[in-house]
Amino acid sequence: MSSIFSGWRSSLVIRVTGTIVLISILIISFVGTLLYNRISTGIFDEKLHIAIADAQSTARSIELQLQFAKYQDRATVKMVANEILAVPAATDNSPAREVALFAYPNVRSTLISSGTSNLMMDTSIPKNLRLETRKSPSTKWERTRILYVSGRTEEAIAVGHVISVSNFGKYEFYVVYSLSQQTSTVKIIARSLLFAGGILIILIGFVTWVVLRRLIGPVREAARIAEELTAGDLDQRMDVAGTDEVARLGYAFNEMAVALKQQISRLENLSMLQQRFVSDVSHELRTPLTTIRMASQVIYGSKDGFDPATARSAELLISQIDRFESLLVDLLEVSRFDAQAAVMEVEEIDLVNLVRESIDYVHPSQERLITLTTESERLLVDVDKRRIQRILRNLITNAIDHREDAPIEVTIRENETVVAIGVRDYGIGFSSKDRASLFDRFWRADPARARTRGGTGLGLSIAMEDAKLHQGTLEAWGQPRRGAHFVLTLPKFAGGVVDSHPISVVPRGEQLTEREIGDL
Amino acid sequence: MTLIMVVDDDQDLAEMLGIVLTGDGYQVDLVNRGDEVMSAFAMQNPDIVLLDVMLPGIDGVEVCRLIRTVSMVPIVMLTAKGDTQDVVAGLEAGADDYMVKPFNSSELLARLKVRLRRTGAQTSGGLSIGNIKIDQIAHSIIRDGQNIPLTRLEFDLLVALAKEPGRVFTREALLSEVWGYRPATDTRLVNVHIQRLRSKVERDVENPEIILTVRGAGYKAGVVGSSE
Repeated sequence: MSSIFSGWRSSLVIRVTGTIVLISILIISFVGTLLYNRISTGIFDEKLHIAIADAQSTARSIELQLQFAKYQDRATVKMVANEILAVPAATDNSPAREVALFAYPNVRSTLISSGTSNLMMDTSIPKNLRLETRKSPSTKWERTRILYVSGRTEEAIAVGHVISVSNFGKYEFYVVYSLSQQTSTVKIIARSLLFAGGILIILIGFVTWVVLRRLIGPVREAARIAEELTAGDLDQRMDVAGTDEVARLGYAFNEMAVALKQQISRLENLSMLQQRFVSDVSHELRTPLTTIRMASQVIYGSKDGFDPATARSAELLISQIDRFESLLVDLLEVSRFDAQAAVMEVEEIDLVNLVRESIDYVHPSQERLITLTTESERLLVDVDKRRIQRILRNLITNAIDHREDAPIEVTIRENETVVAIGVRDYGIGFSSKDRASLFDRFWRADPARARTRGGTGLGLSIAMEDAKLHQGTLEAWGQPRRGAHFVLTLPKFAGGVVDSHPISVVPRGEQLTEREIGDL
Repeated sequence: MTLIMVVDDDQDLAEMLGIVLTGDGYQVDLVNRGDEVMSAFAMQNPDIVLLDVMLPGIDGVEVCRLIRTVSMVPIVMLTAKGDTQDVVAGLEAGADDYMVKPFNSSELLARLKVRLRRTGAQTSGGLSIGNIKIDQIAHSIIRDGQNIPLTRLEFDLLVALAKEPGRVFTREALLSEVWGYRPATDTRLVNVHIQRLRSKVERDVENPEIILTVRGAGYKAGVVGSSE
């Protein structure tokens, strides 16, 4: 049952065929009923006309015979009267035609006796007809059933007429005509109509189904190919033959696929061009930069012989070349992200170790400025080591820059699918207004105290892109003078997603303040 | 005197390299085109080659491959592109090390020194790793009675692993041991050379028996006779 229902909902063929069959049943039964009624009424009316004419002529001839007989002797009258009821019984070829004769109650004569033909019962003549007949001299009729004494019955029409013979009085005269032939004809017609209707409905259903299948076939094909196009197989095309509407669907579909492929390859070309440009710029800038750097180092190496101003200039030259280089590196990285040309090099690494290394790298001195809290000593994850290291170094450097002599807490937590690293400082923090632009390029929290460590201003923006590249998230929380909390959450395995957050970005104990401020 | 062949199409950089290297006591031979390298190489027979990737004539990766067909001389690629494909292509072509522009003179000199050093502290007697005998005096390895030529770097890599058979070397440890420095992220240098080395010494690269991978950690030497 449910499969029919689901087929109804999912298959256009079943739904349309079903609907058409239902409508056909309604129309055909309506037309069939109408036809049946017209035909059976026509057949009955015809028989009725014949019956009335026959009954009238029979009555007239009886009247005439009796009229004539009254001048004869009583025996003749009796014979004529008996002849009236002597009607031949029904045979296979001739349907029953019975007569009944009833004297009016005031008739005293016994010459003409009341009675029926062939043992038909009096009750075959409906009471109502007898009343109507007695009321006026015109011919009356009514449908009835012939009831024989034997118990046999037959559909019939009873036609009533008054026979009035002077000297003998008035008589009700009825002729009852069997409708057995008409009934069987109507039955045959009804059966034929039903049969024809049934065949018609089956045919309509079948033809609809076949035609729809032919029409829907290409649509199904189109749907299948569209799915494959979506899956990335841009070379899929529909088989098209002919010039009809279905073929036009196919042509249009194929043209769409071609256009789609062109568009995609155009975008790919653009991305490739951008990548080429980045790589060319990189090459063109780096070669002279190498020469400049080496030259500056040669100059710096002999600065002892310079006067103080020239010596200081050599120092500045060196440090600014470093800054220029890191800016170049960051810009190239950003443009690689923009061109979607950033490539991940995923390998299995120990994240705890990587965090330790990053802390050591940023803050090599032995004082316990940074505390690391981790649940496990070894935590293998599939990541691009260079990128994750870059994020970690950036977050830790930021924390040190803004810590205001307070310690920094680094936390690692994991569950089955994701791992999170939180970097918390208790320094100057940032306002919720700043949080929105924190990850923007070249954005600086406080221009007055910027560039303490000469960052490029691209670090957090790159960190965010790196996190996204890993399908991870990088969140930030901060309050002025209460510090900041950055949480990097990554899927443990390549292809995973971040479905939970082992470390909440809002630090414990700060939720209340956070709620007061409201979600940004 | 040690002869360094510098191949770079940028005249200024080549000249600057010449100044720095000559200042440190090396003899320098400058070549500007890729297609001139092989003839110059045959004539000069340098002790080490500094090779730019982008060169007119033949590109640096191809030059590297050509040099490797005739010599096991140390090759250091100079690349302006830190991009993976470029670096890996150079390493796969047989370069021992690479430097991304812009680099420091001191860094360059340090790397050259490491590449030029003779493998020191030779233990007496042969080392072995897996089924391979290492002859440290002849600087060669023997597998199944056959002599397999290795570059000096590949040899150093194999010796480093063989010296401490039980130890698992992280990529970082190998970097500092063999390449003599530790830009801790640059593990592809190790990965590519391990692959190259395996293609020379392993019977089946897919199932290494001599240089084993320790998942999530690094590499270690195969046990002697482990394949039997």
